[in-house]
Amino acid sequence: MNAIDRKVQPMELVCPAGTPAALRTAVDAGADSVYVGFRDETNARNFPGLNFSRPELEAGIAYAHAKGAKVLVAINTYPRAGDMGPWHRAVADAAALGADAVILADMGLCAHTAEHHPELRRHLSVQASASNPAAIRFYQAAFGVKRVVLPRVLTVDQIRALNREIEVETEVFVFGGLCTMAEGRCVLSGYVTGISPNKDGACSPASHVRYEDQGDKLVARLGGMCVDQFPTGSPAGYPTLCKGRYVTGNDDKAAYLFEEPTSLSMIEHLPALQAAGVRALKIEGRQRGRAYVGRVVQAFREAVDDVAAGLPPNARDLMALAEGGRGTEGAYRKAWQ
Amino acid sequence: MLFAGFALRPIPPWLLQPALDRGLRHVLDRHPDLFERLADLDRPRYRIDVTDLPFGFVLDVAPERLTLVRRPELVDVAATATIRAPLLTLLELMQGRLDGDALFFSRDLVVEGDTEAVVALRNAIDGAGIDLIEEAMGVLGLLAGPLRAVLERAQRVFDAAASDLETVRQAALAPLARRREADRARLEDLERKVAELSRRRKREERA
Repeated sequence: MNAIDRKVQPMELVCPAGTPAALRTAVDAGADSVYVGFRDETNARNFPGLNFSRPELEAGIAYAHAKGAKVLVAINTYPRAGDMGPWHRAVADAAALGADAVILADMGLCAHTAEHHPELRRHLSVQASASNPAAIRFYQAAFGVKRVVLPRVLTVDQIRALNREIEVETEVFVFGGLCTMAEGRCVLSGYVTGISPNKDGACSPASHVRYEDQGDKLVARLGGMCVDQFPTGSPAGYPTLCKGRYVTGNDDKAAYLFEEPTSLSMIEHLPALQAAGVRALKIEGRQRGRAYVGRVVQAFREAVDDVAAGLPPNARDLMALAEGGRGTEGAYRKAWQ
Repeated sequence: MLFAGFALRPIPPWLLQPALDRGLRHVLDRHPDLFERLADLDRPRYRIDVTDLPFGFVLDVAPERLTLVRRPELVDVAATATIRAPLLTLLELMQGRLDGDALFFSRDLVVEGDTEAVVALRNAIDGAGIDLIEEAMGVLGLLAGPLRAVLERAQRVFDAAASDLETVRQAALAPLARRREADRARLEDLERKVAELSRRRKREERA
């Protein structure tokens, strides 16, 4: 059997964009879909200067559609009690502007969208942390969810088994920053800063981050707490509590307590994900610049097309762009079990 | 990486300030909303410390002004945040050719002070989707040609050096990578054996 005989439908490449320039870069580099957020707390990358105004999203959707790409709008934080306004407006505006789907986490917002915008395709965000067949079937039956973004807690084998038991499409992360396997439920950053990643949309908000260059080391603080010190010449990471180094017990040497600053990198394992029935591949990094978006999307475009043609993926080295400069397969291969 | 900075050292600061003024005005005329993403901040001021130049810059965004300051005096300038990097790194960042986070991870770029202001500035410049250097050069007149030639030459030298370094790095790391792959294969084999033993034990316990 030659490569042409084995050609199958490529998995959908879902790419990040934090700005209109990044959206255009992603589309031009070969993204099938681009996911974005409004410039407020309704999405989980509510960072300063990032995201889209309504006119910017309208222009972005026009640009993507003209080139055959889709735009998915992440409205994936959990609304404040008694103040659903921003989240309802975000869904209504996404529908009015012609978004191809919204990515939701909160059940109430899922219900609202299904009721008031039934024509708007609904994807379940990773923030909903739906990782078993019963939970996913519930979201499908109750809210008409068409796709679930799986939390980064499952092995490839578990994803294959899951896909046999559900009818909705599955989307998985294949590259970029990692969290501590408590998607949508992590309170570490909120505990120190008072700003919740899940409700306000910012993990380790920049307003609470300080770096001090002390000559022989760079000290990173979050909410006044030292989370790491990087000696001159050693790579630095994001100032997140989960990737900080701490002194614990009787050991006076600081070490990683929760996880190390490494990036998810699954480009070599795309054939296994396709065989497991995965429909879409997500690249993390709406907070990253257009140089990152361009290089990572282009690399994965080639790899996804290779796999669809029955060829081994050309796994380009993207580690220069990765946090910690190192890649990991994370939970897809639970080496610790 | 140092080449670009050294190449610009002979240019006297008094000659550069008017060019900076005209360049910034030209860019803002063409992109009046360049700093719109900084609107939520309280008139931030950035100290841009170019490590391979005898001078740095102070960027104000409300009103917009880019001021050249001799490097020894730069430290005394009150600023919201400091951004520190070699010239070529900063130029490529402004051109959208390099990723700011990746530069930070590799320590090629250092930030201090109000991180929120730095992140917002990065997103404003990167999100504009324009080559700021090329745009600004549009008003340099006779200076633009030589300056562009210097920068392009510096870029080629740097690219070649980076390529050579990458070759050396890969050659040096190749034995380690092979050993890592061998270790990984051995680990996977052990994991398979442990899993098989575990399954066998459970079967025996059930029997």
